[in-house]
Amino acid sequence: MLSYLLRRLAFMVPTILGITLMVFMLLALAPGGIGAGLAVSGGQMSDTSKVAQMQAYLEDRYGLNDPVIVQYVRWLGRISPVKFGERDLRTPSGERVSPPRAIEDPPLARAFPLPAVPEVVDAPPQGEQLTLEFKKLQREAEGTRREYIGSVRQFRDALADWARAQGPETASRLDAKGSARVSDFEGVSFDPASAGYAKLAEAAATARTKWIAARTAQARAMAAFRAGPYPKSGIPLVPGLVSLDTPDLGVAFSKNRPVADLILTALPVTLLINLIAFPISYLIAVPTGVLASVRRGGWFDVASGFLFLGLYSVPTVLAGVFAIGFLANKQYLGWFPVSGLHDSAAASMTFLPFTDAAGEWHRGYLVDTLWHVALPVLCLVYASFAVLSKQTRASMLDNFNADYVRTAKAKGVPRKDVVLRHVFRNSLLPLITMFVGIFPAMLAGSVVIERIFTVPGMGSLILEAIDLRDREIILANTFMVACVNLLALLLADILYAAADPRVSFNRA
Amino acid sequence: MSDLTVPVLEVADLAVSFDNSNGGPRIQAVNGVHMTLFPQQTLAVVGESGCGKSVTAMSTMQLIPRPPGRFDRGSILFEGRDICTLSEDEMLSVRGGKIAMIFQEPMTSLNPVYTIGDQLMEAIFLHQKVGPDEARRIALQAMKDVGIKKPEERLAMYPHQFSGGMRQRVMIAMALACRPKVLLADEPTTALDVTIQAQILELLRELQRDRDMGIMLITHNLGVVAENADVVCVMYAGRVVEYANVFELFDEPLHPYTRGLFRSIPMLRDQKHRLVTIRDVTNDAAEFRKIPGVVPWWPDMPAGTKPDLASGRDEHVLVEVRPNRWVGCWRTPELQSRTHRRPSLDFRRGDR
Repeated sequence: MLSYLLRRLAFMVPTILGITLMVFMLLALAPGGIGAGLAVSGGQMSDTSKVAQMQAYLEDRYGLNDPVIVQYVRWLGRISPVKFGERDLRTPSGERVSPPRAIEDPPLARAFPLPAVPEVVDAPPQGEQLTLEFKKLQREAEGTRREYIGSVRQFRDALADWARAQGPETASRLDAKGSARVSDFEGVSFDPASAGYAKLAEAAATARTKWIAARTAQARAMAAFRAGPYPKSGIPLVPGLVSLDTPDLGVAFSKNRPVADLILTALPVTLLINLIAFPISYLIAVPTGVLASVRRGGWFDVASGFLFLGLYSVPTVLAGVFAIGFLANKQYLGWFPVSGLHDSAAASMTFLPFTDAAGEWHRGYLVDTLWHVALPVLCLVYASFAVLSKQTRASMLDNFNADYVRTAKAKGVPRKDVVLRHVFRNSLLPLITMFVGIFPAMLAGSVVIERIFTVPGMGSLILEAIDLRDREIILANTFMVACVNLLALLLADILYAAADPRVSFNRA
Repeated sequence: MSDLTVPVLEVADLAVSFDNSNGGPRIQAVNGVHMTLFPQQTLAVVGESGCGKSVTAMSTMQLIPRPPGRFDRGSILFEGRDICTLSEDEMLSVRGGKIAMIFQEPMTSLNPVYTIGDQLMEAIFLHQKVGPDEARRIALQAMKDVGIKKPEERLAMYPHQFSGGMRQRVMIAMALACRPKVLLADEPTTALDVTIQAQILELLRELQRDRDMGIMLITHNLGVVAENADVVCVMYAGRVVEYANVFELFDEPLHPYTRGLFRSIPMLRDQKHRLVTIRDVTNDAAEFRKIPGVVPWWPDMPAGTKPDLASGRDEHVLVEVRPNRWVGCWRTPELQSRTHRRPSLDFRRGDR
């Protein structure tokens, strides 16, 4: 059993790699590439050179200019529980702090010599001072780096201008969009007398100044990081090289918040709706299926089949709109709230309903929430009755004619026990498989329903992320759903083995 | 020891029909069947598929689903009561308790998700007022009785861990755990290989002697009949065509169909290219003139041999043509006026 489990878990790794690689490639191949969402957010700024600098900064920060496969491997490194290299720090609030990244040398160092870098002399602050100043040093390193990246971008623009001024031969080194790739200018000699040289030299000098500032800030931040203002995160395996840590789902481009936070806010909402919806659909559909099979062809069988198939045929979109239009709209029945998960006053409510001294009834947080999720839950369950009850019925009917049922009858087992003990028990097996198949869908959330009722769950989150092309959220979501799917399949197999003694993992 | 001369089960003029799902006339599966079973007796019911053997047994258990099934007439007497008139509640205590049944398919006749012990003890709890410990003891004894080694271990096992022969032993143990008076064995050895067949039948014979049990052995294997039956009831198209003790039947079959059955058995030393079929025999008009005074009943008579029938009543009548030999005959006006003794043979192979 244990070896089977380990083998199955080990096989999940390549499967997850395959799934995430595919999603990553799909995102990368989509028009605009992975950074399309960033380009959109950058477009809100008016100054074009500022946009270019912003873009350069974001490209640097998320490594968007690297080949897709490099980006993918970097993403894998982040979500992998096995970490290589220096361990992150973890602040008391649980935030993860990575070591400040190294600063690359400015371009064309041969044509425009690098100035001497002053040795960092000041030792990192000690004790409490360290904790206090660490954030500042980090911010400083981040800020100077940003300025430096911007200055490199400006240098490239100046380089392109210069190249165009030199005539068509030099200008042919520019790429199709007319911007300069620094590596294409490696062997070019820059004549100080040439047109536009002064501007180019100035840009180079600015880049070098910023470079020194960035390097200095980075070195100081690094020293502070090494001094360890916070405890190190994770468990070391090989000190300084390999460690174990929780997966880092990254920061959402579009919201500038850790993806893990976003998921942790959205997931309970989806779980709440589904944990109410699924028991309801099973509690109604399975007994109905059993009864329908016992009185096969009777009025109950026909009526329930007709009703459930009818419900199944109503599109969720339509049902949701009707539910809002008739049940929630104040001009009609107005029984339920139209959208959201809580009343605006929910924060000040007590948890349980109560009647105050004036005899007025207050519904309280619990009832308020249930009241709000009633319509989404209704829309989520009504279509599932048909599939589940028909499946139960078919599976029951299969077993009614089984030989062991005849044996049970011949033993003198009463009809009720024949149905429940013998037929139903064997009919459970396909239902187990179905239940676990539905489980991952719970986490993904019902996109349509959450959209219609403006419920801030997983469905809304992923839809928004796709709209904004937010790579981090989409990938994190895919990764999570893939993991849950695979674990659910494993769970299905284990449950199946528990329910059916003919299936065993011990004998391979 | 109970009185062996009193029948435990008497089936009289039983007729069962089924709805025709294609909308045609009702299908008469059993049409006026008589048979009598005594304690310690093995009554073999022989006939081809669809002749009504299993329907007779299932009627005895009241396991015919109604609808589509229907009891048209007749009675099944057990312990002085007509089973056909018992309510479902009364039937529950008979079924599995006093009349037990084992089936043809041991591979699928046990519930795959319960242990052998669960299934055995379920039967015990249903019919005996005992606690769990006592039930377990009875189950263990039942397993030992059918020759299963290490019954303690075996009780905790699931059906799929047993071979076909072992499963049939479990089925027998389950059927006999409540010491029934009558065992209906519906082709109990058909799915088993020959050595296991012999073991199972030998086992049934032993248990039968110990418990004064009557066995209705449904089979189409004449070898099994020859070696195990005391009395043979040959059926065709829902009717009894011949009823006799096993030795007399095998020595001299009287009905053309029975003769056809025996002659169609291939003989190793015969150098024939083509086997005799039952039809070869029943198409021969001379075959139907061998018993003086009566014409054997057959639905598809050779031309010119079908006698004039008495009007009004059933065309078929079971006639005692010689002492203790019954043959299904056409109900001619002469037979109509006579009274006919119902087939009843208090005979066991040891008696000879």
